[in-house]
Amino acid sequence: MAKTGLDGHWRGPTIVARALRDAGFEVIMIGMANTDDIVRAAVDEDVDLVGLNVGGHIDVAIRAVNSVQEARPEVPIFAGGTVPPRSVKMLQDLGVEVYPPGSQLADIVDAAQRLTATR
Amino acid sequence: MKKQDANLVIETTSGIELKAYYTPDDVPPAHRSRARQAPGEAPYHRGFHPTGYRSKPWRIFQLSGFGKPEDENERIKFLLKNGETGFIMEHDRNTADHCYNVDHPEVLARREDVGLTGAVMQSVRDMAICLDGLPVDTSFGHAGGAVVQHAPFALAGYWTVARKRGYDLSRIAGTGQSDFNLTYLGCVTKQQIPTDAGLRFNADIIEFCAEHLPRWVPVSIAGYNAADTGLTPDQELGALFANAVEYLDEIKRRQNMPLEFAAKGCGGVSFRASIHLFEEAAKMRAARLMWSDLLQSRYGLTDPKTANLRIHCVTAGSRMTYQQPLNNIVRGTVMAMAAVLGGVQSLGVSGYDEALSIPSEHAHQMSVRIQQILQEETNLCAVTDPLGGSYYVETLTATLVEKAWAFFEQIQQQGGYLASLDSGWLHAQASENQYKEFMAMESGQQNVVGVTCATEDETPFHVDGFMGTDDAFDVALERLKDIRRSRHEAGANAALKNLEAVCRSDRNIMPAMLDALESDVTLGEIGDVYREVFGDWNTPIQT
Repeated sequence: MAKTGLDGHWRGPTIVARALRDAGFEVIMIGMANTDDIVRAAVDEDVDLVGLNVGGHIDVAIRAVNSVQEARPEVPIFAGGTVPPRSVKMLQDLGVEVYPPGSQLADIVDAAQRLTATR
Repeated sequence: MKKQDANLVIETTSGIELKAYYTPDDVPPAHRSRARQAPGEAPYHRGFHPTGYRSKPWRIFQLSGFGKPEDENERIKFLLKNGETGFIMEHDRNTADHCYNVDHPEVLARREDVGLTGAVMQSVRDMAICLDGLPVDTSFGHAGGAVVQHAPFALAGYWTVARKRGYDLSRIAGTGQSDFNLTYLGCVTKQQIPTDAGLRFNADIIEFCAEHLPRWVPVSIAGYNAADTGLTPDQELGALFANAVEYLDEIKRRQNMPLEFAAKGCGGVSFRASIHLFEEAAKMRAARLMWSDLLQSRYGLTDPKTANLRIHCVTAGSRMTYQQPLNNIVRGTVMAMAAVLGGVQSLGVSGYDEALSIPSEHAHQMSVRIQQILQEETNLCAVTDPLGGSYYVETLTATLVEKAWAFFEQIQQQGGYLASLDSGWLHAQASENQYKEFMAMESGQQNVVGVTCATEDETPFHVDGFMGTDDAFDVALERLKDIRRSRHEAGANAALKNLEAVCRSDRNIMPAMLDALESDVTLGEIGDVYREVFGDWNTPIQT
């Protein structure tokens, strides 16, 4: 899990990480990370799923998504954070599942299980 | 709402169990005589002025800013035109919070983020653009600098602009913030100075203002940032006063100024007003009582002027929902009422689009309108401390005071407020509460309209969040090149060298900072000095 912006609000990602750990996932949190950091972690840690916390401009998140998809095309990506509806659509068009504020943890955990089921 | 079991245990956010009704016997005995006191009498839980809002309405004070300095300038003018009675500058998170220029690699990697949540201000020239035409001489201004390491730059920038316009600094009124809760607890930055260096900065600012800017609030501890990170109202109070004693103990140790001035300087604080109306109103009352009690018992300060705690309040951003955003206008109103019933001096209401973006013009205008309706139409300003004497609210006030002091003591046992940040102890408290709060929603124990119930949304009003501008980065980069080309390089270098020498000494940082801003030294260069001299805080949590 990574935050694409330099905005350190940590409530959302840590709650999600806790729920995922409780559900048996190993979660590697790299905090505020730029695209290169995110790709490096996705490759080096051989992850099954990438979670992005988006707190800034959608273009920054899209760049991270594109780079991860290029380096590890088989790895699914899901995202949360302050993502306005029009940006949700842009991420979904890239195959990213988006969980905006107000999403249920149970749904996020279900998504993680579903997205990693075939891996 | 479904009918509730009459025996169901209902608790406030602070875990105070609520009864179905209250009688005089419920008010804790030690508090009963206080409940009979008038506003203006110690220990001031009922307020400092008998005539309250009749003689001084609260200040309408909205956080505002994005894009280029001129975008922020325009938005502030819009708010002032719409009835705001002070103004707040907001600096870009990427650059300001980290003391980076826009050409720092971490910023370059996220160039589209630049200017999204505040204007980019890398030099005094940018500050001057942002403040162009704004009444810095007659209005109450917030220079930004909410982040501890950024505050000396933001303050020096504001004051330099004021001075260049010919104003006497001793007459300028406004506030800084320099809040530890913001980036050491709530929105932790990627890089920042360690807490001991931050404490030194804040003590320097307090001392500098006492000497040169008596009408300026030098630092403003923001309980808001602790509360919106997860601390409960009693913990918010306890942490805020634990923070205040760090400042006052440090000032006392340094022996450079009378302690009562420092107490006045630390007495402009902010709290969060959340949605549990009566507990939040009681919290403001409890805060005043605790401050006067603390100053008297710990420092022997009894002058009513010193004990005058001035409270700015912001409604809880985290309570604003992404779903059905227009409902947030109602939430903003209820939270604003909690603050007003608690007798705060200044108020900002979160935009209804808070969960989507920074406020659009319309959302910002609504935040002002909510406050104007409360001031003009409701008679809320007619009676001071209207909840005073309520068995329920007096009980809540006294119970909060008791619980808050207990949390204050727990922090002392951790070695004090800053030590509890360094160790991650405070983050752990917040984290536990966040999880509990989330699980209460998830389990249906706490409903949120539009999110966990009443989710059918047939509103024709589509809210898609504010887009901001897209040229903040390019313009900032151009201006950075321009200042490097056009400034007196030797003068800038000398000022920067001097700043570094002062940072390494125990002299007050502010004169050197003012000199640096005057000499067109840029934010990122100052940040480089900090990183070299002070190093980096060892962040205790994994974000």
